Amino acid sequence: MVEVGGVELRSPVMAASGTFGYGTDVPLCDRKALGGMVSKGIFLNARPGTPPPRIVETPSGMLNAIGLQGPGVEAVIRDYAPLWAAWDFPVLVNINGESVDEYGELAARLDGVPGVAGLEVNISCPNVREGGLFFGNNPESAAAVTTAVRRRTSLPLWVKLTPAVSDISAIARACEEAGADALSAVNTFVGMSFDLGSGQPRLAFRTGGLSGPAIRPLALYLAYQVARAVSIPVVGIGGIARAEDAMEFLLAGCRAVQVGTATFVDPNAIGKIAAGISLPLVGKDPLAQSSDRPLASR
Amino acid sequence: MYDVEAPLAGRREVARGVWVLGFEAAPIAHSVRAGQFVNLLLRPGPLLRRPFSVYRVDHDVVEVVLKAVGEGTRMLLELRPGDRVSMLGPLGTGFALEREGGPVALVSGGLGVAPMPLAAREAQALGLTVHWVHGARTADELCREWEGDEAWWATDDGSLGLTGSVLQAVPAGVGQVLGCGPNRMLAALAERWPEAQVALETYMGCGTGVCLGCAVPRTSGVFDRACQEGPVYRAGSIRWRELPAALHYAVSA
Repeated sequence: MVEVGGVELRSPVMAASGTFGYGTDVPLCDRKALGGMVSKGIFLNARPGTPPPRIVETPSGMLNAIGLQGPGVEAVIRDYAPLWAAWDFPVLVNINGESVDEYGELAARLDGVPGVAGLEVNISCPNVREGGLFFGNNPESAAAVTTAVRRRTSLPLWVKLTPAVSDISAIARACEEAGADALSAVNTFVGMSFDLGSGQPRLAFRTGGLSGPAIRPLALYLAYQVARAVSIPVVGIGGIARAEDAMEFLLAGCRAVQVGTATFVDPNAIGKIAAGISLPLVGKDPLAQSSDRPLASR
Repeated sequence: MYDVEAPLAGRREVARGVWVLGFEAAPIAHSVRAGQFVNLLLRPGPLLRRPFSVYRVDHDVVEVVLKAVGEGTRMLLELRPGDRVSMLGPLGTGFALEREGGPVALVSGGLGVAPMPLAAREAQALGLTVHWVHGARTADELCREWEGDEAWWATDDGSLGLTGSVLQAVPAGVGQVLGCGPNRMLAALAERWPEAQVALETYMGCGTGVCLGCAVPRTSGVFDRACQEGPVYRAGSIRWRELPAALHYAVSA
């Protein structure tokens, strides 16, 4: 067991938001290996998502612009939470708002719902026109969202950070001071790709979030900076596809990791990663792990 | 759904540059239905899997049909017998034929021939008459393999069969139309036979329902998943203008 910000994970390897649906559609994943999962990001109301094309493969990675398609919070509470309540691993709900108040409203709505083990506050989605990444790119708005959620729920509160900032440590500290129990680092990087035939962006949304092994060293460095900046646990995310990759994030000071794009390639990626992690690394104090290691130049 | 380490059993060229590859994958071969697909992973190779409709099944061998359109398909065509891919499948929801639905027309353009041999066999197993209707740009790009009771051909340049759209080659009196091909062909098919069942090709991430990358715009107002609710839809239930007329394949290295 690994304790992360009030959530008891069965292993340090979790399924990342947007890559595991609501946990009902991944039959080949070895669920015994799953430390926990984060649901697809939801809003208060249903959203259709962005038009296709929504994904494009890039070197060692992929761009996506799904646009947080989903049924809205009431449907999630009605259709999925009762299933989660019966599962033997924790499910966090990834929440999104177009306003600070909307984040608070979502938190209140999910508070006390059986099956919801915690909230991952998404202030970092690059694929919505309102809210999303906007809240994550300065310390004041990141803290305002965190505070609004903290006031309305006693659930474990994680905040998922965007890499698209100049000083991620300042954002991380602002979230910690506003009451976050843990931080997820990091969401996708904004990118784009053009089709040379049409001269148009390959994605209908024009830009998308880059994920996969292409971002791993970038994400690792950001997670490392976050782990050094705060005393709450950090969950590392970014291009993790093998146990060795997960162990790099643990060495960088993360308490656990989330696996995303790798699940698209291998539905049992999480099982294989969890099985391959050497146990002595798990659960060590993140600051002790990192403090005697040289910092990259900033 | 199975994930099978599947060795290449054999391959043959069925039209210029169009190849059928057969992989040994018994559990998939024994469970796949017409219109379902498999998702192939190459290592080393591009990051994501590549989806293919199942073309035919021969005992334990699952066949797919492809031509080189990007890095993944080019590498698949370089495989030698015995080389392995990871084959995930069967995936998606296939065709649903009705025993009382009347004679069947299997209407395909180019690589859209892919799901039709299995559909022909399922139709014949129900005792239905099968019209095989296939078109391509030219005679040498046209796959001549066919199954069913009668074959009808069309080419853009008239080098084989009717000249022009494959839709003109569909005989009168069919009760059930199944289609697969470029989106612009399927959009035209939808205008004439809104009740037709069409197998869509989309960009795809996971193939298993979790990434929501293969969004299909439905007339009901929702986007749903080609890999789960699809890839087969009633032609009249798609917002065709919101789909690209043709897919472009990224080179990923």
